[in-house]
Amino acid sequence: MASELTLTVNGAKQVVSAAPETPLIFVLRNELKLSGPRLGCGMAQCGSCSVLLDGEETRTCITPVSYAVGKQVTTIEGLPAVWAVEKKLSAANAAKTLHPVQQAWIDEQVPQCGYCQSGMMIAAVELLAKNPNPTIPQIKDAFTNKPPSPHLCRCGTYAAIIDAVQRAAKAMKA
Amino acid sequence: MTLKTETSSDSQIMPFTTTLTRRSFVKMGGALFVSLALPAGVRAQTAESQASLQTNQLNPTLLASWLEIRSDNTILMRTGRTETGTGMSGYYTQVIAEELSVRPETISLIMGDTDKTPDGGYSAGFLSGMANVRKVAAYTHQALLGLAATQLGVPVENLNVVDGLISGGGKSIRYGQLLEGQHLDLKIPVTGEFAKAAPGKWVGVDGLDGLTVMGDPPMRPLNQCKVMGTSFPVPGIPNKVTGKTQWSCDVTLPGMLHARMIRPATLGSTLISVGAVDKKQFPTAEIVKKGNLVAVVSPNEWEAISASRAVAAGTKWTDWAGLAGSENVTKTLRAYKWNTPSERRGKPADVTAALAKATKKISASYEQPYVRHAPIGPFVAVADVRSDGSVTVWTHSAQSQGLRARIAYMLGTTPEQVVVRWLDHSGQYGRTTFGGDGAESDAVILSQLTRKPVRVQWTLQEDMMWSSVSPAWVSDIQAGLDPSGHVTALHSLFYSPHMMDPRPIGALLAGMPCSASEPGGWIATEWVYDKIQDRLEDVYGMPNLGAETASGGLRGNIMRTPGQRQQNFALEGLINEAAAAANADPIQFRLDHTTDERLINILKATAKAAGWEPRSSPHSQARKTGSTPVNGRGVCVMLRENAYWVGIAEITVVPDTGVIHVSRFTIGGEPGKIINPRQFGLCMKSGVVMGLSEALKEEVTFDKSRVTSTNWDRYKILTMEEMPEIKIVPLSRNDKNFGGGSEGANAVCPPAVTAAFFDATGIQARRIPLSPAYVTTLLKG
Repeated sequence: MASELTLTVNGAKQVVSAAPETPLIFVLRNELKLSGPRLGCGMAQCGSCSVLLDGEETRTCITPVSYAVGKQVTTIEGLPAVWAVEKKLSAANAAKTLHPVQQAWIDEQVPQCGYCQSGMMIAAVELLAKNPNPTIPQIKDAFTNKPPSPHLCRCGTYAAIIDAVQRAAKAMKA
Repeated sequence: MTLKTETSSDSQIMPFTTTLTRRSFVKMGGALFVSLALPAGVRAQTAESQASLQTNQLNPTLLASWLEIRSDNTILMRTGRTETGTGMSGYYTQVIAEELSVRPETISLIMGDTDKTPDGGYSAGFLSGMANVRKVAAYTHQALLGLAATQLGVPVENLNVVDGLISGGGKSIRYGQLLEGQHLDLKIPVTGEFAKAAPGKWVGVDGLDGLTVMGDPPMRPLNQCKVMGTSFPVPGIPNKVTGKTQWSCDVTLPGMLHARMIRPATLGSTLISVGAVDKKQFPTAEIVKKGNLVAVVSPNEWEAISASRAVAAGTKWTDWAGLAGSENVTKTLRAYKWNTPSERRGKPADVTAALAKATKKISASYEQPYVRHAPIGPFVAVADVRSDGSVTVWTHSAQSQGLRARIAYMLGTTPEQVVVRWLDHSGQYGRTTFGGDGAESDAVILSQLTRKPVRVQWTLQEDMMWSSVSPAWVSDIQAGLDPSGHVTALHSLFYSPHMMDPRPIGALLAGMPCSASEPGGWIATEWVYDKIQDRLEDVYGMPNLGAETASGGLRGNIMRTPGQRQQNFALEGLINEAAAAANADPIQFRLDHTTDERLINILKATAKAAGWEPRSSPHSQARKTGSTPVNGRGVCVMLRENAYWVGIAEITVVPDTGVIHVSRFTIGGEPGKIINPRQFGLCMKSGVVMGLSEALKEEVTFDKSRVTSTNWDRYKILTMEEMPEIKIVPLSRNDKNFGGGSEGANAVCPPAVTAAFFDATGIQARRIPLSPAYVTTLLKG
């Protein structure tokens, strides 16, 4: 049965009506109209639905919406604001500044079809928060061996992702 | 005002002409609309008949302009082709900018919507699409020059255009100023037809090439390009990165229902009875059924999912066990009574004679199991079938016009009643090239039955069991060698189930009309070894496995670098075997069999980049036992669509575990003029990832009843950690036109990896994937 739940998504409080066991992805997409997280495998095997929950990369296809109550939910739509707060950017500057990970994804022209890339960027933001200067083996390790599964890209953009993560790491230190 | 630009054609006696006319004067703004002079037999709608259709805008021949140049100097291009992920939207933009001499940033694209784009055509067919777009822009450029000549009083030959500014005789004017205050129409000559169902013929739909622009307008010589050859950013990327893209899975309509399909228990099951919906638990969920097509719909997606699981558990299907299992697929193909080849190329008598004269013969059989496209995002579609019979479908299909023709055929209506709207989504890698496979037919059928818009989202398991597959194949190939080890003759036979059956599963299960294709295969190799004089190729096709069932069984379909991926693997495998038999370095051996300067150049450049040292395979240290790694390296080449490819794999094998690690892959590509160097490099690298995935990991498994590789743990693809260092060697040249650069890279991986395996172990691997289990079996001999 549906109940009213209060979520904090990209910094804003949102009251949604949903059965508590509803996977978070359907609430984000259908109720809050966020198209960043996308449904892939539905069983935490690919990473295309990832968001940050209190900074931790989380697969929303298997995470009940009730689990997100009381936590900060961040999708790619909210990444510029995260960066603006971190760097204390003025409102005018914030409006024209993307998160360095997003900017690096554009500069390196990472997305091909782009379907998996929201999850890839979320994983990159989490990695760079924990390790601001990752080596190539560390990037490969993070995108492959961190539970619950590797982040999969069928277009094969892994090399561009590695370049973009390293570019973002540089930009974030600047 | 009428201005004619006469152009000549090499194939037609009649010159093709464009006509420029003024449609009207306007108070504000102004524009030039470039549209199609339709060929005889293709009926355009008149203004009167258009008026009757204006309520739903469903007219397929409504002459939406191809290109519009506005008085504010912005340009809009409409093309029925779509972005498939490899950067076509960027390349089209660059081509238009080049021919019009404008900045690419001033151009925007509308892609794939059948009611907004005039031309149709394959999204994967970049070369034909680009040729069209280039000519459209070139004709327009000529027309604009003519206008400027009149306006400025300066002859056309004295005019020069830079970034949309026309100058000459000390005067200048912008394109936009030329158009101020008027609407002009430019009609350009085209030929071709719109897509329509053709049951039993080829893939079941004609007109998939779309319209083709005729004539030869003057175009910019490739050595004078300013925009082509630069790394212009692909237009859609910023929106994909910031979450602003509207994907096909994002479409919502008022009153829309979410659907989850309940598929048969096996590939051949038919419905006995449908389970029930517990209305207390799922108050808004409803069952919808037609034939063997069963779904649960609800306005709430999670309720549709939960209820569909409950209903599926109570749904009964007949048993079926008509497959031999994936472990027996080669046996199944071997047991089939092949009739005559679908295609044959070469002279049988000459090849027979040459083989009889050969001092040595080598023969080998190569094979591969079923593999699949396996996008990250499963199929999704939204359809709205209205009470007046009109239909709109939102899709990410790579063939909007073909899909439209198939949906119309399924409904027994005309294509005019169907609009297909295209949006971005997960890559398709060929499975929607013929406009069939997908969730669209499910959505249309459910919308027709419920009288509401319906969104159908497949699950991964469903996608991996019910979407079409790239079929298993075997190839027997034989070469004759002269005393020096030179190959004098070659005969290849290629056997495979149907490779082009894009019928939509929803229509099949519902028992609705499907425009069937003709089973068969085709010769996909292109020949680079001109010093091998006698060659014969036979390609055989058979129906799908399980073809007799209501679902059509394992529906075969094309997949990236289709046909050539498979046939070139066998060919290059045999060339490597012949090189080993001749005790020759495999690169030198290839150089000795060709005079093709383009192949020689890219082969030498790639070998140099890889640090290739000439020697024969296997390596002197090769071994097939031991718990420590042994190294190997291998090479292969391919010619495809005017692009030359070279792959060099360096691998390690641990014989005792059968684990192969590709440490480095060097890929060379020469596709004539490279339009976008950065994007070409990215496509080379990503293609290598997909190709290595196929070489090492991918196999569709099935038992007697159903596909069993239905998730990412069972259908494994390459991960980031498994990706080797990838070195790219791109070569661009201005004297060989354009080649296909977006796909092809994947196909040079398997033969290079199997050659490297032979180099490391001395054992020939003639089957992929080189999984640890298979490698261990091979090495134990």
